[in-house]
Amino acid sequence: MTEHLEFHSDQERLQQKRLLRFRLYFALGFVLVLFLFLIGRMAYLQWYNFDRYHGLAEGNRISIEILPPTRGKIYDRNHVLLADNQPVYAIKMIREKMTDIDAVQQALQKLMPEVDPESMDKFFKRFKQGNRVKPYTLPFTLDEQQAAEYAVIGYQFPGVTLSARLKRVYPFHEHAVHALGYVGRINQKELQKLDPALYRGTDIIGKSGIEKYYEPILHGQPGVQQVETNARGRVLRKLETLPAIPGQDIHLTLDIKLQQYAESLFTQKRGGLVALDPQNGEVLAYVSMPTFDPNLFVDGIAHDTYRDLLNNPNRPFINRVINGQYPPGSTIKPFVALGAIENNVISPSKKIYDPGYFEYKNHRYRDWKRTGHGFVDMDAAITQSCDTYFYMLSLDMGIDNIHDALYPFGFGHRTGIDLYGESRGILPSQEWKRETKGKPWYRGETIISSIGQGYNLATPLQLAQATAVLANRGKVVQPHLLRMPLSEPSEQIEIKNIDNWERVITAMSHVMHSKKGTAHKHALDLGFKMAGKTGTAQVFSLKEANYNADEIDKSLHDHSLFIGFAPIDKPKIAVAVIVENGGSGSKTAAPMAVQLIKHYLEEQAKIPTGSGDQAS
Amino acid sequence: MRIATSRPQQVYRRNKGVLNLLHLDGWLLLGILLLLATSAAVVYSASGGSDAVIFRHLVRIGFALGLLFLFAQIPPTLLYIFTPWLFLFGLILLIAVPIFGDIGKGAQRWLEIGPIRFQPSELMKLVLPLMVAWLFAHSKLPPSFERIVVALVVIGVTSGLIVIQPDLGTSLLIAMSGLFVVFFAGLPWRVILLAIAGVVASAPIAWQFMHAYQKQRVLTFLNPESDPLGSGYHIIQSKIAIGSGGLEGKGFMGSTQAHLDFLPESTTDFIFSVLSEEFGLLGVILLLALYTFVIARGLYISSQAQDNFTRLIAASLTMTLFVYAFVNIGMVSGLLPVVGLPLPLISYGGSSLVTLMISFGILMSIHTHKKLLTAKDPEG
Repeated sequence: MTEHLEFHSDQERLQQKRLLRFRLYFALGFVLVLFLFLIGRMAYLQWYNFDRYHGLAEGNRISIEILPPTRGKIYDRNHVLLADNQPVYAIKMIREKMTDIDAVQQALQKLMPEVDPESMDKFFKRFKQGNRVKPYTLPFTLDEQQAAEYAVIGYQFPGVTLSARLKRVYPFHEHAVHALGYVGRINQKELQKLDPALYRGTDIIGKSGIEKYYEPILHGQPGVQQVETNARGRVLRKLETLPAIPGQDIHLTLDIKLQQYAESLFTQKRGGLVALDPQNGEVLAYVSMPTFDPNLFVDGIAHDTYRDLLNNPNRPFINRVINGQYPPGSTIKPFVALGAIENNVISPSKKIYDPGYFEYKNHRYRDWKRTGHGFVDMDAAITQSCDTYFYMLSLDMGIDNIHDALYPFGFGHRTGIDLYGESRGILPSQEWKRETKGKPWYRGETIISSIGQGYNLATPLQLAQATAVLANRGKVVQPHLLRMPLSEPSEQIEIKNIDNWERVITAMSHVMHSKKGTAHKHALDLGFKMAGKTGTAQVFSLKEANYNADEIDKSLHDHSLFIGFAPIDKPKIAVAVIVENGGSGSKTAAPMAVQLIKHYLEEQAKIPTGSGDQAS
Repeated sequence: MRIATSRPQQVYRRNKGVLNLLHLDGWLLLGILLLLATSAAVVYSASGGSDAVIFRHLVRIGFALGLLFLFAQIPPTLLYIFTPWLFLFGLILLIAVPIFGDIGKGAQRWLEIGPIRFQPSELMKLVLPLMVAWLFAHSKLPPSFERIVVALVVIGVTSGLIVIQPDLGTSLLIAMSGLFVVFFAGLPWRVILLAIAGVVASAPIAWQFMHAYQKQRVLTFLNPESDPLGSGYHIIQSKIAIGSGGLEGKGFMGSTQAHLDFLPESTTDFIFSVLSEEFGLLGVILLLALYTFVIARGLYISSQAQDNFTRLIAASLTMTLFVYAFVNIGMVSGLLPVVGLPLPLISYGGSSLVTLMISFGILMSIHTHKKLLTAKDPEG
């Protein structure tokens, strides 16, 4: 800096300094004037108007109370309550007014033996260090019985009050938890994203599932109440009230009875099941097993319980319906077959010979049946789930044509169900591999893709939707959980030969009802006709099944899959089932799906026509 | 023009003493410590006597004093070298906010770097006046028209980036800290008057560009009773707190307005209301006297500084402190619209305290890092 100064003459320097001096004096004068002005303002408030403000502060005063909105209830399709609000009682404490804090802690611990003493201690420790004049709410609630007991002893504890509030309750506990979701305390991260005006007075928020997706509808708007209080803060009377607008009640498409039945089919098994109404995409059952009780989360879950659930090798927190991505295995064969006959890759009646394997570039791709299926046409290939037939046609069809044929059914992209965090699954193509793996496609990969192995991954929801679209003969419906008065206009998959729908569906009915069908022994005396397809997905990498894999018999490493719908002419239900490490599709998943469909159709038959069956 | 034969000796004498060796200024430090002691008392009361809050507050004060000490050791010549780089760094952060920033309460002001949540506009409160002073350090004063234009562009770009966050209040205050430098550099009075006239005339146009919440604040300010359940409520309750304090106040820990939860943000933005309720008009006058003392000392340091760069930043940083105090007190007493600004050195909270203490550190550094002047130097 110094070198610059040398350019100026002494005269200039002196001038500069004078200029600055003058401006500094001016600034100081400015500061003094404005501070005097502030003192004038204070004198006006504190001296001239003292009596008025003194009166306002000391006498009766106006204060604002927030009226939190009541959260909307959630019902199933038959108006059975799935998420309710029930009164619970909370303890509020003001330190300044309390005489013996330790005595209060002891009394409360005795009253609520279910509360972990450590958490109780932690709260009281924080309380003793906190604001001594503001009320603190005990984070544990009392039920009616406990509240009554407290009322008897409460007189001993000044500064401690009991107040009622509403608590979210899920009467069906662990059933349908992955669809319904749950609420929990608002955390720091959520707080930053929320509109503070809307959430003042609310301390819970939807954390997952429907509770999260429809949070804006369910939450409602808080009200405010002007109350007159005395100098000690006690409410004397209520003045103006802007009532809270309660959250809307919503109805889901789920049928909780069917849901419970579907879950019961999974005894001790892991997996996912989706039942859709193909007419409109309504989700009738949404099963991800195992489950957990959402009520645990409402008031904050105990640390140990949470850790146990999180570390449970069966991973109950995973929402398998939308996030479980499994190789679809043979369940994609009907869709590949439809694509093949549409693209004139093969004539449906053409028979090929299956020796039990397919050879390509000195590599044998084995059929699941080592001895081979002999001569098979398309119908037999689906009925008996012949791998070799699909290996052969896949090379003529090419991976991109397979991709294009399956994409409209919902594979490889999100179905758009009204839940957050849905997985895409994988429907491979040349472009896909180039983009994600940076490598070219090998034809050998087309061969295993044709039977739903290799890169292919699908969620149970995607499989159920694809099944529904097939059942609809190409009418695409959007799966959804919120029951809406009118479903959105649906798209139609256009195909060149309409008869091809029936060809594939007939083959799928043969899976159930022909002697050679892979699932025929589960549909022996069904009383109605249905279409289905079994699948057995080899778990190549045990990444997603690395839990207790050692304990299971080797053959059970395979995932067991089944898709199906009924009745064939006017489908009322489409189902996809996946049982993790359940073995073959025909053994485990197929009987479960058949039982569920049978149960549903029987229950539907009992309902007098007109309700729940708008199509007929 | 006196011949300064005895000057070098005087400078030498001034360099003696423990405080000077530590590069601290005793008078300024005294004023700061008195304000911080006031802060500790009022924060304790406003938090309802919370041990946890006062502990955290004291830790922050200790940390901030450490920063003051640290910055007092940095000679202004070093600061001069780093200024453009700091400014560039601050600009990059401001541009990063809309891209990577976390949306906090309707505005993207925070940037998360690892575990630290950081507000780049806070950095700019310090760096912008440094940068403008840097621009004028080269030239003689009053500056040429071209230099003033460059300075105004620098100020405009910086505050413009903060406006879009959106944070109108902060952006105006930061622009002000830059404009102070231009003022002290010797902006002609007629230009100043013209600019003020221009601002007044363009107010209706600015109104068109304001966000809904900003308009709401102005409307509430003009007539708080229009929205007694919403934002006007804060101002009404704050005025009740101040007014009910009277001449002598209700005494320490006696603020019923804060303790019964009528006052919003009673430990931060509205802490002045608690102070005036508990210590009355006398307390307010004492507080303003303390501020005046610190400001006067800051301006004195500017007048004693040896070059344009340090003169200008000393004056500007001092006046920035004044503006913050004035705006906060004006806001809680219903003279100015609510802008969300802490009371300097008194409010509970970290980032504003840190910025202020760093600027005090710079002031002390300016006053204690002086070159020994030769007899040749005409002004000494």
